[in-house]
Amino acid sequence: MSSIELTQIRKSYANGPEVLHGVDLSIAAGEFVVIVGPSGCGKSTLLRLIAGLESASSGDIMIGGTRANDLAPQDRDIAMIFQNYALYPHMTVEQNIAFGLELRRVPKRERLARAREVAEMLQLTPYLDRKPGALSGGQRQRVAMGRAMARNSSTFLMDEPLSNLDNALRVAMRTEIKELHRQLGATIVFVTHDQTEALSLADRIAVMKDGHLQQFDTPGAIYDRPANRFVAGFLGAPTMNFVPAEALEGWTGPREVELGLRPEALRLHRARPQAPAIEARLALTEMTGSEFVLHCESPLGRLTAVAPRAEGLPSPGEAIWLEYDAGAAHLFDRDSGARA
Amino acid sequence: MKPDLTSSRGMWVMNALVLAAGLMFLSPVLYSIWMSFQTADAYYAGHLDFTLSNYELAVAEYNFARYLLNSLIVSGVVTLAGIAVATMAAYAFARYRFPGGNLAFAAVVATLMIPSHITLIPNYLTLAKAGLLDSYAGLILPAISSGFAAFFLRQYIRGIPRALDEAAYMDGANAFQVLWRVIVPISKPAIFSMGLHLFISEWNNYIWPLVAIGKEDLYTLQVGLARLYRINPGEDVIDWPLVMAASTITILPVLLGFVLVERHLVRGITMGAVK
Ligand SMILES: Nc1ncnc2c1ncn2[C@@H]1O[C@H](COP(=O)(O)OP(=O)(O)OP(=O)(O)O)[C@@H](O)[C@H]1O
Ligand SMILES: [Mg+2]
Repeated sequence: MSSIELTQIRKSYANGPEVLHGVDLSIAAGEFVVIVGPSGCGKSTLLRLIAGLESASSGDIMIGGTRANDLAPQDRDIAMIFQNYALYPHMTVEQNIAFGLELRRVPKRERLARAREVAEMLQLTPYLDRKPGALSGGQRQRVAMGRAMARNSSTFLMDEPLSNLDNALRVAMRTEIKELHRQLGATIVFVTHDQTEALSLADRIAVMKDGHLQQFDTPGAIYDRPANRFVAGFLGAPTMNFVPAEALEGWTGPREVELGLRPEALRLHRARPQAPAIEARLALTEMTGSEFVLHCESPLGRLTAVAPRAEGLPSPGEAIWLEYDAGAAHLFDRDSGARA
Repeated sequence: MKPDLTSSRGMWVMNALVLAAGLMFLSPVLYSIWMSFQTADAYYAGHLDFTLSNYELAVAEYNFARYLLNSLIVSGVVTLAGIAVATMAAYAFARYRFPGGNLAFAAVVATLMIPSHITLIPNYLTLAKAGLLDSYAGLILPAISSGFAAFFLRQYIRGIPRALDEAAYMDGANAFQVLWRVIVPISKPAIFSMGLHLFISEWNNYIWPLVAIGKEDLYTLQVGLARLYRINPGEDVIDWPLVMAASTITILPVLLGFVLVERHLVRGITMGAVK
């Protein structure tokens, strides 16, 4: 395991605009870091820089305490799962998984045994002799994962490694990755679009937007104290509601700010409650399993709330009141979006 | 209306057409092979006959076994060395950006426009200076660098996702291992096509061996074959059955080579590599 230290990393592709604008990220040895952010914000680029597949336009990359800017990818002891898999089409699943070991001159018996072990873990045993062309998307993705996992690298970079799996497999693989992390103690940098994945796997989450790091903190801290309006709106499902403070009836805090209220901070009432509440009209309900998501129209705009399934729900079009928990409100500067 | 290939009548028509086309292409070859088994007397008299004497004559009198060996050595080495050089050049052109790279590639492409006859005399003078005329090296060296093979393979390699190189680097490969373990196996169809192309071009090469070789025992098949037309200047008939026997000796290895290589020319091998 190695620590990874990025200082003021900037990156522009040849004849392109800058895509990373001075990213600082300090990852401890053995830490599990999840990178999230909208499509095109530079997550894959960041991983490729750490891997050594791209070179930074400026800034320092330190791996394990030594400067790695000029180190070739094969000398960094990093295993990577590519967003597009990048499987060797001419090799079988077994050969794909064992290739890294073969290059490191691990004896044949040993590397085949290891490949089988990894395949077993990823439920790929029936496909060991197939080539990637004869696999489904999810199977290919697991081969890509197996290829990275076969070697005991000090660092793993995983670019959306679970995106193509069905729900059951995804949950199973999530556990495997967590277990792998616990066993090897390796440093893992993991990119995902899936909030549950981010919140459940990460020691720390890095939120990115447009080539800037927005916040880098524990899942709890990011959820409870988002650094700005973007982070607040990006993490948490359903997304946070934003309302102008002065428009909110009964609000006693500062008025020149924007308030963020998570859906669970809004409580549904079918008649006007004692406490201050927002009057609204139910537009649409959505079942998510144990809960209902309520989409409501109000003078403050669209609001989202959640309600447990058991409650007798109003029907769409009915007038309702949403009582808000003032203590749970997040305050953001109206212009900069920064946490106030 | 499209012919109905599933009905027996459609099948029959199709088969007849294919057979006719096949015969049209094969008939000169079949005719010359047939002729090679006739004695000259029987052929000119219009009788039918069967004899191996033309082959015996070609091998015993005219040294065709030696020519065959020479052709195999020269074409074989040219093919192997030419493919090795072209593949490495193609990989470098496809994957690396280096100062003068584009210019160098343009120069490679430019060689495709130069007819080989123009390089004949410069090559001759160069090899004469190096003392390599009348040797295998003199036959082989000028043919090794094939601009066409380098160009063709570069285009093919550019079609292979770069992500595969990157995955191999992450797996711990160096540049040479990426080439040998990833690029070459995936490029197999293109490499075999180019190998076949190099082999056949060299096998059919006539002018260069003719000017570069004086010693009879270094003749290639093509030079030996041409010589059969001008033996016995006093006689006014050419021994066609003998020429056909020598031609058959010249053609068969190429056909055999094609049959061996053909199954490697399949395409679509990068399927499933990337999303
Ligand atoms: N090879 C390249 N050349 C030029 N621009 C590139 C290249 N690769 C990526 N980019 C640009 O850099 C930006 C960041 O791309 P990147 O692939 O890092 O995004 P991402 O966060 O991984 O997105 P996604 O979630 O869709 O995978 C994008 O605007 C993209 O267009
Ligand atoms: Mg990406």
